[in-house]
Amino acid sequence: MKFVCNECGEVMAFEDNTPSEDGSSMNILYRCPNCERSISMVTNAGETQMVRSLDVNIGHESLETRASQPMSLIRDALAGAEPAQTPAGPEPVWTEAALKRLSAAPSFVQGMVHRIYSDFARQKGYAEITPAIMSEARDELGMMGM
Amino acid sequence: MTEDKASVSPNVLEQVLAQRESVVTRLAQIGHVVAVMSGKGGVGKSALTANIAAALGMQGLAVGVLDADIHGSSATSMLGTRGQKVTYGAAGARPAIGVANVSVMSMDMFLPEDEPVHWQHPGGLAADAHVWRGSMEANALLEMLADTDWGRLEWLLIDMPPGTDRYETLLELTPDLYGTIVVTIPSQVAHRVVRRSIAAAQTAGARLLGLVENMAGYIGENGQEVGELFPEGGGQEFAALMDIPYLGRVPFDPRLARETDNGRPFVLEHAETIAGRAILAIVEKLATEVSA
Repeated sequence: MKFVCNECGEVMAFEDNTPSEDGSSMNILYRCPNCERSISMVTNAGETQMVRSLDVNIGHESLETRASQPMSLIRDALAGAEPAQTPAGPEPVWTEAALKRLSAAPSFVQGMVHRIYSDFARQKGYAEITPAIMSEARDELGMMGM
Repeated sequence: MTEDKASVSPNVLEQVLAQRESVVTRLAQIGHVVAVMSGKGGVGKSALTANIAAALGMQGLAVGVLDADIHGSSATSMLGTRGQKVTYGAAGARPAIGVANVSVMSMDMFLPEDEPVHWQHPGGLAADAHVWRGSMEANALLEMLADTDWGRLEWLLIDMPPGTDRYETLLELTPDLYGTIVVTIPSQVAHRVVRRSIAAAQTAGARLLGLVENMAGYIGENGQEVGELFPEGGGQEFAALMDIPYLGRVPFDPRLARETDNGRPFVLEHAETIAGRAILAIVEKLATEVSA
């Protein structure tokens, strides 16, 4: 699926994917690279569920992200799933600001997001997770909208 | 019109295709990927899978078992890996190592003991679960195929759940599936169900390695065959009717059920018994088939 700017004839570029607070919809933002006009595609509950059950991520910038998170669908969607073995290294400390940013994510993805950022910090040798580290992880792992 | 910026973000189709490609890449390291299916539940398919895997492992071959029965996992119990959980390495999720060095991957390895498979609701109305549950479970199978770091295996046996829908998913995901073993019991009701599974496989163009007739006869306390569990029989004729090879019959030996349930596939220590010899004969036919 593509969106074309009627004014410019340009294919609009993906910019962000923000889940709603209750997780039932996604607000997917596209912007025209030429004239900066933007549109938002808002999914309904059925569409949101279908996309999530496909284990795809709207806005992934890198297909490598999934490869770095084996069994991510099972680990994140299976109720009662036991925590995976984590990379070596001490548990990074979350700063208050980082926790506040984490709390903005829908509750059903917070566990997954917490794990991904924690794994990222360990792999990088960071002792604490700050909003800046979260932004770095987001850029490197292509986690748009988190 | 430029598409460069749009192409920066892979779309859903690209991600789905990438997932499927990752299955092909992973399974390319495996000599023979074989599904074990029936269509009918309760025919002893999982126990047979465990014993075939153990028999291959006893011969020094590198063997894995993927338990594709999401809701009825039993491979960990039957291959002695119960309680072992998934661990992760650079190349993916590591399988448990069971008896005869058989590698095992199963939903059991993600869950606490006796916990049922229950998916967290991915947002929206709980009443809509039918919309996404099937897709979620098909993708869980895809993930186990793509993300398990089996290393180099000579055989990967995929223990399929009853029914044909997950088998059809498997056929879509694994274009390099070497073949399928079909398990039945000597019952006309079972034959009618299994017939539909065979038809589904044949329609999809799957290679059917042959039919195993399980629970064909009953082994008594004296270790000899003392009678029939089911009156009908007719496995060989059924295989001929369905135009697939007949791999053999395995009689029901209570010790086989008991020991396999306890994580010691029967064939490991009772290869000389009637049931043990029957399983080894089936393995030999499979080995002959792949070397032909």
